[in-house]
Amino acid sequence: MNTMIEISHLSKSFGTVKAVQDLSFQVRKGELFAFLGINGAGKSTTINIMCGQLAKDAGRVCIDGADLDQDADCIKRSLGVVFQNSVLDKHLSVRDNLESRAALYGISGKAFRERLEELADLLDFHDLLKRTLGKLSGGQRRRIDIARALLHRPKILVLDEPTTGLDPQTRNLLWNVIHDLRKQENMTVFLTTHYMEEAADADYVVILDSGKIAAEGIPLALKNTYTGDFITLYGVEEAQVRGLGSYTPLRDAFRIAVPNTAAATELIVRHPELFQDYEITKGRMDDVFLAVTGKKLTGGEAK
Amino acid sequence: MTELAALVKRNTRLYFKDKGMFFTSLITPLILLVLYGTFLSSVYEDMFRSAVEAAGTTVSDQLIGGCVGGELVSSLLAVCCITVAFCSNLLMVQDKVTGARRDMTISPVKPRTLAFSYYLSTLLSTLLICGVATVICLLYLKYLGWYLTAEDVALLLLDVVLLVLFGTALSSCVNFPLSTNGQCSAVGTIVSAGYGFICGAYMPISQFSEGLQKVISFLPGTYGTSLLRNHAMRGVFAEMKQQGFPTQVVEAIRDSVDCNLYFFGEKVELGSMYLTLISSVVILIVLYITMHALWSRKQG
Repeated sequence: MNTMIEISHLSKSFGTVKAVQDLSFQVRKGELFAFLGINGAGKSTTINIMCGQLAKDAGRVCIDGADLDQDADCIKRSLGVVFQNSVLDKHLSVRDNLESRAALYGISGKAFRERLEELADLLDFHDLLKRTLGKLSGGQRRRIDIARALLHRPKILVLDEPTTGLDPQTRNLLWNVIHDLRKQENMTVFLTTHYMEEAADADYVVILDSGKIAAEGIPLALKNTYTGDFITLYGVEEAQVRGLGSYTPLRDAFRIAVPNTAAATELIVRHPELFQDYEITKGRMDDVFLAVTGKKLTGGEAK
Repeated sequence: MTELAALVKRNTRLYFKDKGMFFTSLITPLILLVLYGTFLSSVYEDMFRSAVEAAGTTVSDQLIGGCVGGELVSSLLAVCCITVAFCSNLLMVQDKVTGARRDMTISPVKPRTLAFSYYLSTLLSTLLICGVATVICLLYLKYLGWYLTAEDVALLLLDVVLLVLFGTALSSCVNFPLSTNGQCSAVGTIVSAGYGFICGAYMPISQFSEGLQKVISFLPGTYGTSLLRNHAMRGVFAEMKQQGFPTQVVEAIRDSVDCNLYFFGEKVELGSMYLTLISSVVILIVLYITMHALWSRKQG
């Protein structure tokens, strides 16, 4: 597998604040890579350095084989970025916005019209082209933001908290488009998000805490390492569950925490009379995040 | 070139489509119109008439109209060229506030192309508005009393272009380090409220205290106003001389309306005024380029 992003020993400080400390990771081609951390963990600093918006203090950044120090322009052509907030011009029409941004990549005239047609088909915004951007709904605007990021056919799509504040329908549309792009064009997606269920779908996850990597791996491995399993047991009385260990009462069931799947199996085998109706689930990414950082990720703030 | 043309087109469109930005830039010229409409024109009219009558001669209403009109037109154009440029150029700050600047700098476009695009689009927008304002002003002079030659009109247009270049270069340097809406408002308010006074548009500099006159004589914009005034009123003064007005009276009026400016007692000739204005434009452009180069180096 090709490595699309390779970051080695990256460091950046703002005065006495060490925003990123000796950060190293790799993102492979076609991967959905999730970058998690509370606000101030160093996610945006890392993205800004990758995009050439911020100078690094130390380390090396290579994207699609190009070194940031030597070929920043090549890297900029490889990256498409969807920012957390829409950064397009709200007084201009959708078409004018996309036309002005496409020209920055040398795309104009017929080439622009063809690409605009493709993107309007993909993201279903033909009827929005003449409308002023500021008058669109949040979801409609998000589609245009994605179209802007895809104008120059980037190899890597950077999504900086792309679904924050979106309705479920638009979130679904966005993820469907991203899945299609990954499938059809083998596009690499670099995601930061506050929604842990989105991170659970990632191929690889890096959790940042205070500018350093606190944990990394595939979601299953992280869950196995940092959280236990849970057995949800139905149709029993609380008195019967008390002897089984730590549990949480639910509406019509009890959730019993066990260290791992083997322990769950052992418990079931020991008490077959109780386990008539049950399910075993892995811990969630929220649990992983909490276990790794000691913080809950709620809207980007530590809780 | 595609990038630069697209950015200039985008910036210019945004300025004209953003009603807030567009109308804010016209506030100072509107204030001036209100001042003239309510009392300044009659104050100047009385002042000219009494100066002429004190010399024992009479003057036609048309000549007085041409004189007051020339004063208004030159003042209006002097502030318009600067305040429109400042407001139009605030787009470079707005882009930082909205994040549009970040969206543009993640593309391979060169920072210098971006900086040049702001300069060019401000120049274009300001020239368009000041061009229209000049045509309206000339029509107004035609209505009040026309004493201009083709050469006066050509020189008036040259003065407008030079002042627009000056306003664009000055606003580029002042707006460049700004990054918040608060700073934008502060600069907009200071320029709108203050520039009319310090360039002698609201009130002739000759009426200020001597110390203030000396300070103002260091500001290049003052000479731009004087150039406009010289060319807008030259025909009126020529007509006065032809009608037999004493030279001392004409010169006294020229002094009172800032057609004659003095730098520590030395009269500044028109050639020196042009030289001062052109040099200022060149210096400010070099300063803008230097600021940009230093910023780019800092960004790494």
